[in-house]
Amino acid sequence: MPAKKRTRKTVKKTVSFSDDTTLTTHQNREKKNVDHDRPPVYVRKTPLMTFPYHLVALLYYYVFVSSNFNTVKLLSFLIPTQVAYLVLQFNKCTVYGNKIIKINYSLTIICLGVTFLLSFPTMLLTILFGAPLMDLLWETWLLSLHFAFLAYPAVYSVFNCDFKVGLWKKYFIFIVVGGWISCVVIPLDWDRDWQNWPIPIVVGGYLGALVGYTIGAYI
Amino acid sequence: MDEKTIKKSILSSSNDEKIIYKSRIKKFQKNHKFYIILLVFIAILQFISIAFFTRGFLLSRHVLDNISSQNETSKLPPRFNKAVILVIDALRFDFAIPVNESHSNYNLNYHNNILSLYDSFASDKDASSLLLKFIADPPTTTLQRLKGLTTGSLPTFIDAGSNFDGTVIEEDNFLKQLHLANKTVKFAGDDTWMALFHPFLSNDSFPLESLNVWDLDTVDNGVMDYFHDHLQQDKEWDVMIGHMLGIDHVGHKYGPDHFTMREKQIQVDQFIDWILKSIDDDTLLVILGDHGMDHTGNHGGDSIDELESTLFLYSKKPDMWRLKETSNYNIDNLGHDYRSVRQIDLVSSLALLMGQPIPFNNLGWPIDEIARNDREWSQFVNSAISQLQLYKDTMQIHHGNDEILEPLAKNISNTPPTSDPEKFVKLGHKYQKVFLQTCEELWAKFDYYSIATGITLLATSLVLLISITKLIPSIVVNQMVPEFVPGIIIMVLVTNLCFHGIFYVYQQPSFVDQFWGTLLATAIGIIIGCYITIFDRYNFIWIAMRLGETLADYWSRIAVMFMIIHALLFTSNSFTIWEDRIVAFLLSTFGMLTLYEFVFLPKRQSTTALLTATISEKEGTTSGVNPSTANSNYLPLTRFARLLGGYHSAVLIIFTRLASMITICREEQGEYCIPTFNNQNNSSWWVLGLCFLMIFILPACITGYYNLTSSYQAAAPIWINVFLKGILGLNFVYWSLTSLENNSAVIAIPFLRDVTIFKFTLARIIAGFSLIASNVGWLMGPLCIKLNIHNTDVKSHEATILGYTNIYGSEFFLLVINVLMSILLFNKPLAQLSYFLMCNQLLSILEIIDLLKLKENIIGPIALGLLSYQHFFTTGHQATIPSVQWDIGFMLSEKITFPFTQIAIILNTFGPHILVSLSVALLTLWSQPPDVLKPQTLLGRIVSNCGILLTYNTILCLSSFIWVTHFRRHLMVWKIFCPRFIFASLSLIVTQLVVAFGTIAFASGRLIKHINDIFWK
Repeated sequence: MPAKKRTRKTVKKTVSFSDDTTLTTHQNREKKNVDHDRPPVYVRKTPLMTFPYHLVALLYYYVFVSSNFNTVKLLSFLIPTQVAYLVLQFNKCTVYGNKIIKINYSLTIICLGVTFLLSFPTMLLTILFGAPLMDLLWETWLLSLHFAFLAYPAVYSVFNCDFKVGLWKKYFIFIVVGGWISCVVIPLDWDRDWQNWPIPIVVGGYLGALVGYTIGAYI
Repeated sequence: MDEKTIKKSILSSSNDEKIIYKSRIKKFQKNHKFYIILLVFIAILQFISIAFFTRGFLLSRHVLDNISSQNETSKLPPRFNKAVILVIDALRFDFAIPVNESHSNYNLNYHNNILSLYDSFASDKDASSLLLKFIADPPTTTLQRLKGLTTGSLPTFIDAGSNFDGTVIEEDNFLKQLHLANKTVKFAGDDTWMALFHPFLSNDSFPLESLNVWDLDTVDNGVMDYFHDHLQQDKEWDVMIGHMLGIDHVGHKYGPDHFTMREKQIQVDQFIDWILKSIDDDTLLVILGDHGMDHTGNHGGDSIDELESTLFLYSKKPDMWRLKETSNYNIDNLGHDYRSVRQIDLVSSLALLMGQPIPFNNLGWPIDEIARNDREWSQFVNSAISQLQLYKDTMQIHHGNDEILEPLAKNISNTPPTSDPEKFVKLGHKYQKVFLQTCEELWAKFDYYSIATGITLLATSLVLLISITKLIPSIVVNQMVPEFVPGIIIMVLVTNLCFHGIFYVYQQPSFVDQFWGTLLATAIGIIIGCYITIFDRYNFIWIAMRLGETLADYWSRIAVMFMIIHALLFTSNSFTIWEDRIVAFLLSTFGMLTLYEFVFLPKRQSTTALLTATISEKEGTTSGVNPSTANSNYLPLTRFARLLGGYHSAVLIIFTRLASMITICREEQGEYCIPTFNNQNNSSWWVLGLCFLMIFILPACITGYYNLTSSYQAAAPIWINVFLKGILGLNFVYWSLTSLENNSAVIAIPFLRDVTIFKFTLARIIAGFSLIASNVGWLMGPLCIKLNIHNTDVKSHEATILGYTNIYGSEFFLLVINVLMSILLFNKPLAQLSYFLMCNQLLSILEIIDLLKLKENIIGPIALGLLSYQHFFTTGHQATIPSVQWDIGFMLSEKITFPFTQIAIILNTFGPHILVSLSVALLTLWSQPPDVLKPQTLLGRIVSNCGILLTYNTILCLSSFIWVTHFRRHLMVWKIFCPRFIFASLSLIVTQLVVAFGTIAFASGRLIKHINDIFWK
């Protein structure tokens, strides 16, 4: 129904149960704002190009290869591969205006620092969601670092756009949703090693990021 | 200055409007009554469905505390004066007999390791040992089995009349009889015995921790050491009991097929061998398993592997047992055809052998082999029969089988036991079998017809509830309500007539009698009555489509997701165990989502407003309010509103996290949960210090929320700053006295000799004030508005009404404060802190819902529902029976006194639910200016929101019904699923009652009429 009304300029009298008389004006306003709010920044729809191959490899390594789910080692692999992913893949698919801007190397370094700092608010968020408050802080921080660095390409892009484009939100959201859903395995009484904090959430975050970077361009 | 004239001039309204108003309020009052009746009918329907399900699922057995006494005439001399009873947990029958290695099921790890029992039985020429297969009754959990083994009865989940929490068995049992006969019983092993029988056991006993399944050796070694020390040297015992857990724990940890099982069994075998040698001639040795184990090593269900265990009787004296023909003791095929006796038969046999009276509740039959000759056998049978008949007569058990039982009883009494023992025994055994079958039918089976009826009725009521409160536009429901009520009443009468007619002519189905038939007919009448009215106007497809439309927007989908996740928790025992954390997680998620909304303000079409389909009364407001204010609901959020919203979301999230730190852990949560809600914390200085601060902070917080709409006027300061603060202060005094008592400090307060009486007085004053006086005060209509006259000049008529925009909400919340005051009294200090957090969360949710314009969205009631469940857990409760805070029941009276004890426990347990069921009306009323909506519309929206809250609870209840039925044979059904189902039913009942009578009948009707009177008369 809203789609039909969008083309209509004049308000036609209709009988409906609706009490929203501002429907048409609301629609118009949205249409007007489209151009203003969204400068032509987007991610190109090239699935082969944006697909984060390294995340698949890292996940495989984490789950099947590494002994005892070595989360620290995984992080040490994640950071360089994420930088490489940004430089080699993600940045090349991001279109600003009508062109692809070359990678800004000093900004990538700054963003590494920013992402590191971002892990602290992420940690706060994790604790607010119910992570242990007093103990296991090291694990929680590791988890937050993983989450932060998973979002690293998006952080870079946010900085690159002078914080003006809301396009990158979805990449963050995907990671969080991945972690959120993966909580489901924690309470199960299977007594497996991988149910220990924060392994399932790390895996969930990776899966979320994987999905996010793959289909992010289409949403 | 004449305020009346000013008021009149501000609220000037023409005569026509007055007439319109009067007709509206009349209509409102009429509809209000109909709404209440409709809701009560739906509540009745749900209660009936809960009753049917509960009847089918929880077959209760009434336990009498009668104790059998020794009848002098029939007293039998004891054959043994001493006994050694060794319980080997999970000793399956095939563990104890030789198994041919060529047999297909032969297993090296658990077969042929315990052979001393069979060796003794097979090699024995002088009939001194007896090995039998021992059949347990489900549920095969140790606690239930111990009850069965010692009382000879079939334990059901709720043994009415006895204690709930697995503590001392009140009913007559073998150990109690021994105790009464001044025999010394010494015990070593599983500490469940201590919990069940500690008054009857010697102080010298040696209980060992039983729950740690990972520890294979401690209990066994403890038992063995104890026996080594006491069996021969110590002369001061008459009965010695040991309970070994090693084999059971190996089963739980590794399953039977593991080499540790072999080690454990060999250890047990050697121990048995030693006991066989060590006992003296006058001692009866009983070795038994309480249940078996399945192929995974677990137990609790009713598979044959779990039911079959072993019984071994031994004495050094010869010719103790009269064995049957050897074909009865055939060990081929894992002992498939071996003679078996039932577990409940043990207690009567032991009682007869030891010369004790048979316990009163016993249903078993003495084991045939224990009698040495026919004479003795007929004596045994005689005692058994007289005990069974006494039990049947005292219990007033009536059943269809009486037709068989009564002639049998007559026949037995005509047969003299001595002259024709064979006939007598035969008749007696038949009598016992039929009687046992009768009792089994009455207690130990699920009544699937009742269960199915309960589930179906509840599901139908759910559909009804959703259709009436949400799917059909409330404006139409307003018109339909007067049709519903007579329709329902007529249909109830008609169905009752039909059902009873049919039952009279044909036979009634076996699962309902007269009374339940009436209930069923009433339930069906209510359903038909409602649907006739609904389908008069709508069809099924339209309703289904409306459901789709209602769930079309973002927030509704989030709400439905929360609801479904919560309902699906009952699909697994782990999720049910961790429900407290999961609910807090969901509530945090809601907070995060709203925070996201305020921070990023994503473009979402406010579909709710489109789809609630209530004809707008916002345009053309009757009292000439500026249309732009009236339509302000559709303007985007201002920067200030976003800031405020973000703040409220943050409060919600942080307070949710803080509250979730208060927990009383479930036993099953184990090491992953550290209980903070314990007596130590509850009486610690820092908790009391926080409670002291709460006296000032809680009123200050509420004042803050009131000030947002400048409603902190007139009645509000009295309520919040005087009543609430005063009650909190008294409350603090009460609980600090309690904690001083707990810390066993010497209380030396002058003028105060007896602290107990002072505490009772204090508690009664608080309860009386908060439950009665304050509510009477609320009935007077405390308004939270003030006329603010800028000019003293009467002519200029410049005046504003402070608190005008929240006139409904501010007054309604005073009632919530009343209830809060009474609930706080009945909660321990940490729980009071939890309520403080809850109060803030509640108000923040209300503000968030108002700011996001979600007043009619289903997310509001669902968020409040989550809040109520979260605080159920953070106020020191869990969905288990032991976590009910019974001690609270004795705050108002020393003994159990009808209303006081129950009120205290209900307010303590369901406090969060009661608060939320009341506050759900605030979703509509908070920040609701008086002249925008018609009274009827307002009522319709309140009912709609209440309906969603009820729907939420109904869905949880329905889900728990379905899953508890599905898991009825699950190991954990009585520990996890069944208490959760009881809790779900009770919270639905409490919510129904509070919503129907408190929120809608009492509060909303009163409030709406009161405020409309002020502004229109």
